Amino acid sequence: MWYPTWALRRPDVSLDQPAQAVDTANKVVARNQPAAALGVAVGMQRRSAEAICPTIVTVVSDPTADMARFEPVVAAIEAIVPRVEIASPGLLFLPIEGAVRYYGGETPLVERISKELAEFDGDHRIGLAAGPFASHQAARKTTIKAPELIVADDAAFLASLDIGTLTSEDLAATFRWLGITTLGSLAELPKQAIVSRFGREGIDAQRLARGLDRIVDPRVIQKDPSVESHFDPPLDDFEQASFSARNLAQRLMSGLAFSGVAPHRVIVTATAGDGTVRARTWRSSDPFNDQTLADRIRWQLRAWIDGVSSGIRGGLVTLRLEPADLSGSGRQMALEEDARSFEEMQRACVEVQAIAGADNLLVASPQGGRDPGQRVHWTRWGDVPAPHPRDPQAPWPGQIPSPAPTLVPPDPVPFEVSWADGMPEHVRLKSRWVPVLSWAGPWRSVGRWWSGESSADRYQIVTSVGAYLCEIRDGTTYLIGVYD
Amino acid sequence: MVASLQQDAYPGYEPTVTVGSSPENDGRGVHEAEKIFTLGPGQVAGLSGIPGSGLTRLGLALLAPYANKGSLACIDVRGWMSPTAAWEMGIEPEHLVVVRNGDIVTWGRIVATLLDGVGGVYAEIPSGIKAASLRKLVAKARTQRTPLVLRPVMGELPSGIAHLHLKVKEVIWFGTDAGHGRLRTRRTLLDASGKSTRGMERTIEVEDDGTNDLRVVSHMGPQTSRRFA
Repeated sequence: MWYPTWALRRPDVSLDQPAQAVDTANKVVARNQPAAALGVAVGMQRRSAEAICPTIVTVVSDPTADMARFEPVVAAIEAIVPRVEIASPGLLFLPIEGAVRYYGGETPLVERISKELAEFDGDHRIGLAAGPFASHQAARKTTIKAPELIVADDAAFLASLDIGTLTSEDLAATFRWLGITTLGSLAELPKQAIVSRFGREGIDAQRLARGLDRIVDPRVIQKDPSVESHFDPPLDDFEQASFSARNLAQRLMSGLAFSGVAPHRVIVTATAGDGTVRARTWRSSDPFNDQTLADRIRWQLRAWIDGVSSGIRGGLVTLRLEPADLSGSGRQMALEEDARSFEEMQRACVEVQAIAGADNLLVASPQGGRDPGQRVHWTRWGDVPAPHPRDPQAPWPGQIPSPAPTLVPPDPVPFEVSWADGMPEHVRLKSRWVPVLSWAGPWRSVGRWWSGESSADRYQIVTSVGAYLCEIRDGTTYLIGVYD
Repeated sequence: MVASLQQDAYPGYEPTVTVGSSPENDGRGVHEAEKIFTLGPGQVAGLSGIPGSGLTRLGLALLAPYANKGSLACIDVRGWMSPTAAWEMGIEPEHLVVVRNGDIVTWGRIVATLLDGVGGVYAEIPSGIKAASLRKLVAKARTQRTPLVLRPVMGELPSGIAHLHLKVKEVIWFGTDAGHGRLRTRRTLLDASGKSTRGMERTIEVEDDGTNDLRVVSHMGPQTSRRFA
């Protein structure tokens, strides 16, 4: 749900005459219909817009004040669809899965929202699609006369859009220079070609173009990453609250950075002195950082303080930030250098994959098991690791203790050992028999006897040329690891 | 496959593996040895010794500090390398990629490509790679400031290639005793040479208990140089 001219909905701006809102960098962030008719476009420099239309009224965008005015709209929408996510003042994302079922379809729901928004008397637009990017683009495609657009197929809808709809202007310019002018032509390019030329940024753009939207990395963060501040005495002053919010945002982001993640969504919850609890969810297409998150919290606090709900009565007692949709890209984006090195690594790996073959570039993750070979789960680089059922945290009795052998043959290799009185005496390495200096074991591995696995005894053997891990299964000795 | 484990591949070179009772550390000269044992950006280490002498862990330990700054890559010529040792060294699983490739035609290109993109490379060298190719890779590592550890699976590295050349002299295992205990600690006595030792051959002893990175231990001291002024 989008109000394209929300930044211009202020008492000092008339909607009948050309008007524009500019940001601190003097770029146009919103313009009204008369200005658009004269050729003023979003993203244009203020000076260029004024050259096209000398009588245009220019106001500097104030997101804090805009958010305060937007709060009643959010509250009204939330009465219809819960858990709304605010991207910026004037732009809301609504997860409508449940609401569609409740209202009996997408069209009745859109009509219901439009009816609610009619009270606010403004140029609202509604785009409905499977992902946030496609729905935002759908809203942008609407007009005053047809303010609603329901997209049936995200990929087909996005295919016709201009490449300039991508958020990165530089990337869009490069694609255009290469002759890729629509999102459809970008979507058709092979993934590997995009990675090798544009790295992570290119892949993200292609995912958007294919209607797949961003990836939420399902990393498991063990403890609750939420942060909370209690204020005693309660904070009455907005500036004090903003300052505390900034510190809280920094605390949250540094805690998450330690785990290598950054949030795409944050739920801001404030508890007032009279016990009222208010919560709002903020969303960003790029992972939040300290600065962007602190800004959102400040806007939200201002909206609550100045909003129709007559402020935070009794002062602010608790402020809580709860992150969601954690993205692993947070680690790579933390520093410019990290992002660059990640991109270089991706490029190198794609090239190596092309030379060595996709099956020969591997990444490994730990899994549970008794033998060294069982404790490693290999995945081809670039593939999503398949879930493995062996829990590495489980006890695995009979597991070979640390240090782990460094060389583990893919399949057990027959290994000749001479025994005397049940003790290993010599091992054969090609043509030579070398004496055993010391040994430990056996560790018995019973195996899944019900599925036909035979039991085995494992030994650590130290010889004059190295230490080996071997197992005896069905009377034959096999080498299963070398301590290199 | 067992053939690759045997000493016949290293004529004239025979490390001694022994079994000790308990490791001790008197701490002499440790600081100086640790300095030698640090691989700077763009520097190349060469490892010589048969499989089983602990050189894979040693090579990974040299590169482990670089895992904090980016990914590490291992080129596994034999297809036997297990990442568990790297994880024990503190290298995070997502920071390690393994390339299985023993083809001498493409080996050089793969190493060169990885030097462009990753934080450090551990490369086993298949037999048949020419010294000139290795020298080119060393120059590339220096230009890219990417540390490189080279480990020939057969034979020795050509002279003058490595900034730090480590050769296993003796390996002592602690912890096992006629069926009791388990392998706990390995002490490896290494001959270090190259630019990092300023031309002098030195003996370094490192200890590995599989729970942390390697520790440089006692008895390190300069050896008599074979050259005279």
